[in-house]
Amino acid sequence: MTDTPTGPTLEDRRRRMGYFLVAPAMLVLILVVLFPIIRSLIYSFQSVKPEGGRFRATWVWFDNYRFMGSDPAVRRALRNTIFFTVGEVVLVIGIALTVALLLNHPFGRFGAFRIILLIPWAIAPVANAVLWEWILNGSYGVLNAVLLRLGLISEYKIWLGDAGLALRMVLLADVWKSVPFIALLLLAGLQNIPNYLYRAARLDGATLWQRFRFVTLPGLRTPLTLAVILQTIWAIKVFDLIYVLTKGGPGDRTLMANFLAYRVTFNYLDFGYGAALANAIFLAMLVLSLIYIKVLKPGAPRSRQQT
Amino acid sequence: MNEGTRRRIHLLLRDGAIIAGLGIFLIWTLAPIAWMILTSLLPHRALITRPPDIDPALFTLKNINGVLEDRAVLVDSFINSAIVACATTALALTLGSLAAYAIARLSVPGGNKLMLMVLATQMFPGIVLIIPLFILLSRAHLIDTHIGLVIVYLSFVLPVVMWILKGFFESIPVQLERAAMVDGATTMQTFRLVVLPMSLPPLFAAGVFAFIESWNEFFYAVILTRTEVKTVPIRISEFSGQYRTAYGEMIAAAMIASIPVIIMAIVFRKYILLGFSEGAVKG
Repeated sequence: MTDTPTGPTLEDRRRRMGYFLVAPAMLVLILVVLFPIIRSLIYSFQSVKPEGGRFRATWVWFDNYRFMGSDPAVRRALRNTIFFTVGEVVLVIGIALTVALLLNHPFGRFGAFRIILLIPWAIAPVANAVLWEWILNGSYGVLNAVLLRLGLISEYKIWLGDAGLALRMVLLADVWKSVPFIALLLLAGLQNIPNYLYRAARLDGATLWQRFRFVTLPGLRTPLTLAVILQTIWAIKVFDLIYVLTKGGPGDRTLMANFLAYRVTFNYLDFGYGAALANAIFLAMLVLSLIYIKVLKPGAPRSRQQT
Repeated sequence: MNEGTRRRIHLLLRDGAIIAGLGIFLIWTLAPIAWMILTSLLPHRALITRPPDIDPALFTLKNINGVLEDRAVLVDSFINSAIVACATTALALTLGSLAAYAIARLSVPGGNKLMLMVLATQMFPGIVLIIPLFILLSRAHLIDTHIGLVIVYLSFVLPVVMWILKGFFESIPVQLERAAMVDGATTMQTFRLVVLPMSLPPLFAAGVFAFIESWNEFFYAVILTRTEVKTVPIRISEFSGQYRTAYGEMIAAAMIASIPVIIMAIVFRKYILLGFSEGAVKG
């Protein structure tokens, strides 16, 4: 375009138009994303409490962060979050990978399977939560009825009221909902692995396990890394299920990081401490993601194709 | 046993294992959904029998009617959710397509860095954003309003929409736009008459993503709604609780609330994986 005499002016005009078109979106994002991120960081060094309908902020510097170290609720939430996150990542990736491999087999290549997979994913998280509240109901829950019939339990159990079981039951409900998306992600990855690699491996006499280990797994490196990172972030952020199923109970046995930050901020109205907890959660997610990327090294050239 | 028979048995076993695996997968995925449908059709008495009395002769629409008859139970929240989800989607598509086009084509300096920053902000969990936004919105008296929800929802919808659309705009051959400009079209005319008509599939993908995410959103809605603009997820959550026993209506409401999204998901499934893997890191 530079060879036309009006070139530079046209380019200038287009750039000015560009600024004009980008501006509204950027203003919105500055207001709803950038400003809150910075403001949260500032709040985390302050004591912010509502007083007579207004918010009063006073500087307390590192008090909020120091208090985290001695807060028993933080220790509880940390322990629960670690258990939940590890359990979630291992179970979801394991089940989703199995499902993806099954659906990639000629027997599993019916469109219907994929549609079925979409349903748990599309159900609203809150609808999923009340569904599981009902399934796990201590008096009339169908899980109790089925397990009793199969002889696996001798009496109805109050799954969500039991200190030892509640968190595992929340985990079950979340795994069921989370598997489909990850399975679809991994399935797309499997379909990107060229068939000739399998044929070559077979010619070289590779067993089923060797083909999985040396063709499938390396081919899935990028989607697997993405799946692990996403699932970790989702597990740390889990909120809807806790809010509906247990509110953190019994006795804080299902209290998790995100719910604690919510409770401190919006139930105890300690906005400064809540902001400190929120920033700690962000930091944990960031560090974990960076570690994953470093360890799993995604981005092998071929599997970068668009899913 | 000769080599051939052993091989056949081996293959049969493997096929059997795969079929069994698919069967377990089907039961694991469908059993809760089946129970959801059955529950919504069974009367209260059958549900509180131990074990539940699943007799097709008892099927009734009482739960579903109970949820739909009184507007305050669910219908009002459907309207609130529809307003919020549609407004969020429309705003995100308008602002997002303009910004994405400008960054993809109008050589905005630092455009790509800007896009990376937009993506990076999606790493922040919602709780980080909502604390200052809650204080800001209460000062502006926007708590418990549709506008308040739409503003906050743009924080996770707009970045994803921008990413989906920018990727697409960059993939359109630039010659078409050049041809339009040679014919004397202005930048906006080129965008509106040449680029947008070609971009319906990604606009659709982005729109479906924006709608579903705003429709299902719960965390921000818990914090930002009181009485006036309760969205569907808020109403559903109010059915639950230790002392609530309207199990049939609770499950019927959850099912009715999920149906629009399940239908959208199935109809637009081709677009969804793209949209959601881009948007998956949202806060």
